[in-house]
Amino acid sequence: MGETRLQTADALVLDRVTKKYGDFTAVDDLSFAVHTGEVFGFLGGNGAGKTTSLRMVLDIIRPTSGSISVLGRPPGRENAPFLGFLPEERGLYRTMSAIDTIVYFGRLKGMTPGDARTKGLALLDRFGLAANTKSTVGQLSKGMAQKVQLATAVVNSPQLLILDEPFSGLDPVNQGLLEDEIRRASDKGATVVFSTHVMQHAERLCDRLLLLARGAKKFEGTLDEARALLPARLFVTARSSLDGVPGVAECRPQDSPSDGWQDYAVTLQPGASAGDLLEHCSGNNIALRRFEERRASLHDVFLHMVGTEESAK
Amino acid sequence: MNNILLVALREFRQITRMRSFWLTLLILPVAISIAPLTQRFMGESEADRVMIIDQDGGVAGREIAGRLRLEEDRRSLDALARYVQRHRIAAPATAPWARNDRYFTDAEVARFAAEGGATGALERLKPAIPADVPDFTPPEPRYELVTPPPALASLTGATLDQRLETLLRPASGSKADPLDAAIIIPAGFLRTGTAKFASSGRPNPQLVGTVQEVLTRSLRQGLLTQSGVPAPVATAVATVTPNLMIAQPAPGSGAREALLVRSILPLASCYLLMMALMLSGSWMLQGTIEERSNKLLETVLATISPEQLMYGKLLGTVAVGLTMIAVWIGCGVFAAFATQGAIADMIRPALAPLTSWTTILTMIYFFIAGYIAISVFFLAVGAISDSMNDAQGYLMPIILMILLPITILIQGVIAGGQGIGVTVMTWVPIWTPFAVLARLGTGIPAWEVFGSGLLLAAFVALQLLLLGRLYRASLLAQGQKPSLKELAARLRGRSPEAA
Repeated sequence: MGETRLQTADALVLDRVTKKYGDFTAVDDLSFAVHTGEVFGFLGGNGAGKTTSLRMVLDIIRPTSGSISVLGRPPGRENAPFLGFLPEERGLYRTMSAIDTIVYFGRLKGMTPGDARTKGLALLDRFGLAANTKSTVGQLSKGMAQKVQLATAVVNSPQLLILDEPFSGLDPVNQGLLEDEIRRASDKGATVVFSTHVMQHAERLCDRLLLLARGAKKFEGTLDEARALLPARLFVTARSSLDGVPGVAECRPQDSPSDGWQDYAVTLQPGASAGDLLEHCSGNNIALRRFEERRASLHDVFLHMVGTEESAK
Repeated sequence: MNNILLVALREFRQITRMRSFWLTLLILPVAISIAPLTQRFMGESEADRVMIIDQDGGVAGREIAGRLRLEEDRRSLDALARYVQRHRIAAPATAPWARNDRYFTDAEVARFAAEGGATGALERLKPAIPADVPDFTPPEPRYELVTPPPALASLTGATLDQRLETLLRPASGSKADPLDAAIIIPAGFLRTGTAKFASSGRPNPQLVGTVQEVLTRSLRQGLLTQSGVPAPVATAVATVTPNLMIAQPAPGSGAREALLVRSILPLASCYLLMMALMLSGSWMLQGTIEERSNKLLETVLATISPEQLMYGKLLGTVAVGLTMIAVWIGCGVFAAFATQGAIADMIRPALAPLTSWTTILTMIYFFIAGYIAISVFFLAVGAISDSMNDAQGYLMPIILMILLPITILIQGVIAGGQGIGVTVMTWVPIWTPFAVLARLGTGIPAWEVFGSGLLLAAFVALQLLLLGRLYRASLLAQGQKPSLKELAARLRGRSPEAA
């Protein structure tokens, strides 16, 4: 199965997709595209609509309106041979052995028993579970079972790997293993879509990302584009406030003054640059002991864009 | 289809790896294999050890002993006559055991004993007994006559009682075999008419009856003689018995017996269907709830549709049930044809309906359709339950609704199967498979079989349609018990999840 690959510019396209449960709108007119080969982050708080969107992509549930294209085809089980999926809520058949579990899911995705077994054994070996191939899932530790679950998702070398909150519940070692696996899949040409609310993972892994709040898209673009949504913050130590200086929107003292010096957090006016401010200060003999520019983090952007929505709930 | 088979295979493997499956599977073969032992243990106990102490000349004592031997020979003769009739063995017309149609007279029994009893009769029968006919097993003797020690003949009163006590209830540690009964004919019995029966426990009523009968005869004969009746006449009066002709059906061919034998297989298949359904249904339910509670449904549903999962589970469960039944039937057939004894004798004629292809196909159809129809209820309960506790709440009324009427149905079929209740149940799809299977033995019109079969097929199709909707809508809807309104919406395919 793995030899056949579907050729398409966008691995995943959602076009004006809405999902309603009675009066409640879980996903609201959502449109975005994931380009083939990229790692795409699907960010949002709890209840933002991430899982619902991914379930629609997998045809586990159907949208109320709008259309979805997966590897150029409508959602459906016929896409299963090309997809890998790791759900947020994980679980396996407790009485099945690790290798039988992987072979079972491999076969459900259209692999031959031989291929599924060979790939499964290689994956278990790579995940440090070579000695546990015949152990039942019930006999494995939680971390081991999570590795087996990951193996079921990637056993078919999927073209599109969909991971729903993949890092939740993982210890740091397994988080590293999962990050490696995402990079490995991406290096082999797979498109990876993962949802998360842990921004550090998205910052480290994503080529592009989408911010979702209350089912609606708030942002879609690259990490740099996301960070540029918020003005950079300046931290300066000066003898007096920079209020009134051109380009400064706000200058808030931080700690108590020490020997006449005071730390300030400076917010620039839109369009103003840190360089212009520094030039102004030095040209006007405004004494500075520290001048530090901090660009907004994804976490800041998330809080700025989604936090208000979440608090509004 | 491939994915359905994969799910079915996984389901089958999961269930057949359970200890409870193997325990259940082995129950019937074990029951069949220990049945003869049970029969032996549950049947008559060892022969009663009987001692006759005759202090009145020995005539009455000899008569009692002779009567007991005669009764044992009568039982052997009776058993042999039934054996000859059951296996249709060509017996010499003059032999008493050639006919099994009357109460054998004392003279016939005496002749039978004189000609060597069962051993002598079998020697004569040997050439006529076909090779596939099991050997004749004579009945276990009921009495063992124990010769009294000579000293007892002279003991009386308390001394005799004391001695008898040690014989009937030996002291603990004694290796002597205790007597079950002692019959004491004291001197002057014919004059006083008093004898004694001492028993180690509750007296054997048959033995008491025989002793009473023999001693009555002796007393009567004595009185007649004392009244001047010639001795031969007195003997004839005392011993005269009617020649009672008994018309009885051949073993297994009486009206009620035949009905029961003919109904064994259909009723057994009805019971097996019920047992296999309840067991495999509850295993399937456990599996479905495990999938929900272990949160692995989403992983499964990303690769196969809810309908494929549903059909796979049904198929796997039906396979489990049929495997169990195949093993049980195989054990039954083995017991019938590879073993001897009462169980084999009962099963062999019961398998007679299997010579008809129509009967076989009818049984298979109703068996499988019934299996699916009832399994669907288990699957539906699994789809809407988050735990076994939840499931019990739904399942109990369903099981009662299915099983209670079936127990009544089976009683109705055993009673003849002609009641209106049995007919009504034949046309209610959830009971149709049980009713038709059970009625096959008593006779069911062909139009009823076809009609109820078609109705059952339509019912199963409707069930699968509704279950498909319920399954799709319910599998991922965890955390809340659906209200009746919500359930109805899911069954109509109006639930948002089912969209």
